[in-house]
Amino acid sequence: MATQRTEGSSSRVVAALRELAIPVVSVAIAMGIGSVIMMIAGFDPIAAYLAMLKGGFGGGRQIGETMLRATPLIFTGLAVAYGFRAGLFNIGAEGQLFMGGLSAAYLGIVLAGMPRPLNIVLMVVAGAAVGAAWAFIPALLKAKVGAHEVITTMMFSYIARYLVSWLVTGPLKAEGQIPQTNQLPVESTLQKLHELFPFLTPSRAHLGFLIAVGLALLMWALLKYTTLGYEARAVGFNPWASETAGISVPATTIKALCISGALAGLAGVTEVMGVHFRLFDQFSAGFGFTGIAVALLAKNNPIGVIAAAILFGALSAGGGTMQLEAEVPQKVILIIQALIIFLVAAEQISRWILGRTVRKEVENAG
Amino acid sequence: MLADIITPDLFASAVRIATPIALAAIGGTISERSGVVNIALEGMMLFGGFMGVIGTSFTGSPWFGLAVAVLSGMALALVHAFASITLRTDQVVSGTAINILALGLTGFLMEVIFGHPGTTDPIARLTPLFRFSGPTEGVVGTVWMWINGVVFSHTPIVYMAIIIAVVGQWALFNTRWGLRLRALGEHPRAADTVGINVTRGRYSAVIMSGALGGLAGANLTLEQVGSFTENMTNGRGFIALAANIFGHWTPVGSYLAALLFGFADALQIKLQLFRDIVKVPSQFFLMLPYVLTVIVLAGVVGRAVSPAAVGKPYEKG
Amino acid sequence: MGPPLIEVREVTKVFPGVVANDRVSLSLHRGEIVALLGENGAGKSTLMNVVYGLLAADSGEILVEGKQVNIRSPRQAIDLGIGMVHQHFMLIEPLTVTENIVLGTEPTRAGVIDFKKAREDVREISSRYGLAIDPDAVVRDLPVGMQQRVEILKALYRGARVLILDEPTAVLTPQEVHELFAVVRSLVAEGLSVVFITHKLEEVLHVADRIVVMRDGRVVGETRPSDTDAAGLARMMVGREVVFRVEKTPQSCGGTVLEVKDLHVFDERRLEAVKGISLSVCAGEIVALAGVSGNGQTEFIEAITGLRKVESGTVLLKGRDITHAAARESIEAGVSHVPEDRLRRGLVVEFDLMENLILGDHRRAPFAKHGIFDFTAITEVSRRLLKDYDVRAPSESVKAGTLSGGNQQKLVLARELGRDPDLLVAAQPTRGLDVGAIEFVHEQILDERGRGKAVLLVSLELDEVQSLADRILIIYEGRIVKEFVAGEASDEELGYYMTGGGGDGAAAGAEGVITSDGNPAN
Repeated sequence: MATQRTEGSSSRVVAALRELAIPVVSVAIAMGIGSVIMMIAGFDPIAAYLAMLKGGFGGGRQIGETMLRATPLIFTGLAVAYGFRAGLFNIGAEGQLFMGGLSAAYLGIVLAGMPRPLNIVLMVVAGAAVGAAWAFIPALLKAKVGAHEVITTMMFSYIARYLVSWLVTGPLKAEGQIPQTNQLPVESTLQKLHELFPFLTPSRAHLGFLIAVGLALLMWALLKYTTLGYEARAVGFNPWASETAGISVPATTIKALCISGALAGLAGVTEVMGVHFRLFDQFSAGFGFTGIAVALLAKNNPIGVIAAAILFGALSAGGGTMQLEAEVPQKVILIIQALIIFLVAAEQISRWILGRTVRKEVENAG
Repeated sequence: MLADIITPDLFASAVRIATPIALAAIGGTISERSGVVNIALEGMMLFGGFMGVIGTSFTGSPWFGLAVAVLSGMALALVHAFASITLRTDQVVSGTAINILALGLTGFLMEVIFGHPGTTDPIARLTPLFRFSGPTEGVVGTVWMWINGVVFSHTPIVYMAIIIAVVGQWALFNTRWGLRLRALGEHPRAADTVGINVTRGRYSAVIMSGALGGLAGANLTLEQVGSFTENMTNGRGFIALAANIFGHWTPVGSYLAALLFGFADALQIKLQLFRDIVKVPSQFFLMLPYVLTVIVLAGVVGRAVSPAAVGKPYEKG
Repeated sequence: MGPPLIEVREVTKVFPGVVANDRVSLSLHRGEIVALLGENGAGKSTLMNVVYGLLAADSGEILVEGKQVNIRSPRQAIDLGIGMVHQHFMLIEPLTVTENIVLGTEPTRAGVIDFKKAREDVREISSRYGLAIDPDAVVRDLPVGMQQRVEILKALYRGARVLILDEPTAVLTPQEVHELFAVVRSLVAEGLSVVFITHKLEEVLHVADRIVVMRDGRVVGETRPSDTDAAGLARMMVGREVVFRVEKTPQSCGGTVLEVKDLHVFDERRLEAVKGISLSVCAGEIVALAGVSGNGQTEFIEAITGLRKVESGTVLLKGRDITHAAARESIEAGVSHVPEDRLRRGLVVEFDLMENLILGDHRRAPFAKHGIFDFTAITEVSRRLLKDYDVRAPSESVKAGTLSGGNQQKLVLARELGRDPDLLVAAQPTRGLDVGAIEFVHEQILDERGRGKAVLLVSLELDEVQSLADRILIIYEGRIVKEFVAGEASDEELGYYMTGGGGDGAAAGAEGVITSDGNPAN
């Protein structure tokens, strides 16, 4: 962390580029393997990727759509990344997201008629708290009896989904046939970005994106400048040394998983407040799981999470266009996502390829 | 009402529901005993189940489908083994990637092959192995109904699971394979120093667990349902890992723990039939296995001791 | 005398940044005990790992009975009759003695292990070489000396003709060491050959037929016990004269700093590990707690540093009750702790030096205010500490994991002493360090004493205990069984009490452990 102060700016750039190289190469290889799969299945990968690119970045509206889809992924990516930093794998971000969404869908109706800024603040804070609360029991079990959070948070995510499923078909169901909650009044929703900044092309992108980016910066600062982040990292790296140094490992574990849950909860809040304006069974497209890929690709760096989420957001936004124009099933994106996780996690593959190209450059230069 | 709930069918259905969880749990036992965490069982089950359906629908033979399912589970396991043993990737991360991969591959292939998402066309199923007729009258009839219902009503993989559990238990503690497997997960370096090939031992264990995951998937699609639905495993792979822990990393223990889950699930299905009397929304019943898993983990983990080297990649020298 | 049983010719092994073995040659004849002497890091273990097939040499050759061999795995080494007892035992703790011994060469019928035959084989070998052991005992329940015996039996079971013992005495009491020497001699009488790796001079003079000295990856000399003495060997080993005793000023008690009364502590398995220990440490005094590993020292230290729950008894620091203080409160009360395992408990190797230097003090001014770090203060203090404690590192922002063992330990000392504690608890502070670093650590500990601090030293190294301590307390099975004033007791006397009052008693105690735990709990 002090590298920046002691080393020159040029070496800092080189180091940053080197950090970037592996994720970039991983994405490239994953897309390459993805095209092979598409070719085997009889599709044209070039047409598919072009359609995807068009759908993701083809214009202001498309970029807006990418931002829209990146928004929940920034939250879940940050959630998973913060957990990883503390040595915890929050595989159940999906469940915390559902609970965050539930809280927003409920509170948004209760707060009808109140001023919009107040509603936004209250709903965001409450959603984060509910997400944290949903992570609390797995956190407590991890801290007290060592129950593995991978299984417990996963189970809690199934429980959350059935809970939401019950509420939207029963107690919170709106009038009509469809199992969903009532639509939120406008004062309980997030503004579209083009409403806030009139010079932007109209799109579905909403204020949640800015909140997400703001939180990413906040988390970066938290990890670097605060004792809270320091203790989380210490426990993540070496719980025994942390314990010896007087850091409470159980307390740090609980705090970290709850912060992670709060971040994941916000993904649900902004989806409800900014996209659907209500809650229903299928309101999340597996954002909790994609968050894992986002965090890994970003190497748990909060700023990297923004970039990785935008990439996955674009894949998702472009996926529709791809299915429409190149007729490739959108599911191929999941395959590419899985491959990216593999390649980023198994750094050697990318390093090996990078090593070869570097060596070639050296040979060519010499 | 109690007589309507406590029927041979309840216990038979407990055994049926327990089967995929038990197979995956034993897969988890074998893999973790060798020192490799396998949270990819969920994906192996899913992929195996799907490929079993494909194999069956192309040949018309569910037995061929079963073989394809097992081989597919093994293929995914090979990926996990390569990533976590050879490349020393974080085993949980690799497992997560495989779960997502299985979700993507099955969804993608379904649209390519069947032309639509959701559920595949129905296929020929594996049928119950025995079809005995017996007395139907009196006490003898009741006893026979229970025995026939609970013991003889099942499809082949259900029996395979029981045999695998028993044979696996015996083999783990009595054979060379078992001793070496236990050594690998406790202290791979010690195993290495007496000439046991750690890499090969772990590869074979992970692939074996993949075969069991595939078999579990085949049970779901080829025996229980008769078709494949996207993400139909629904967390069973994770429940299986909890069952493995609850069973103290032994095959029979895993089976019995799975049976507990199976019974809870069978009971909730049965109770749903009495929705008019038991006024509880179905979602709460559906939550039960997951809640039970958390309770089991909360209660036992403190006392259960996992293999010492589980999750740690082995580096020579 | 035909060709040597084993001959190593010009073996070179390079690790990134270190030449561990530089054209090393060595030979071993039948019925011979060769001691391989050298400091930690001299390359002894590397050489033997090459011979045992655990590491591949970069160049050089190995001959067995005059024939060149290519040993690529332990399996091949075993087949050639080479057995090795590693410094860190290669035993699988939850398995039984028999299972451990036969692992890898199990007697089987169609893949099924013939446990009856295995057990008989183990009994047969153990009686042939006089190494009594219960074949059905679970290894986890055996004392260290017995575990080592299992390791030796493992090699013999595989038909070893050559036995490599890597630092075999590091974990043993003086009595166990004597027993081991007897075992080694009886093995040699049976026609085996032994390579004895050690850095302890006395042992070498005691047991070896021939002594090969290594330094910095090279063989620097070869001699026989009759032709040399400890000082001569030390000169060869270190490359300069070595002072064996540390100079110390006379001690006077400046008031009690640590007072422990009737402390009872449990271990992980809820067994009583500390059974009523009372002790006190004065300001300006070094008290050594000497004992064989596993006699409750670890639990005792963890209890007084707030890492383990105290069942009953009290711990007072300058009269203040810290019995139930958490680690954080203990640090804030003035207790510094140099832990036994610095990589596990002492450092976060992924953290840079600054982050490691504030570990434990990271919440306090000047490092942090209201939970926010002040990097200017952190950098300033870090640079001063690194300089004061002679930590050799390119900058304060390199990762702790990149430092050598000695520098890592200095880093721990810099942090723990830099906060100016009232009490220093140092556990095995010189384990695995080279001579230079050991001297530095000893100086620092004596400096603390000189500044009127209280020091509680826990050590297995009798040399260290004898040269540093003002008082020596012997811990055995969770109790203080004897107290000595410095210079009062010989190593043999210390060893006598460390094993519970004598060799026979210790052996009987060990047997008792085996039989009482003979039936595995699960």
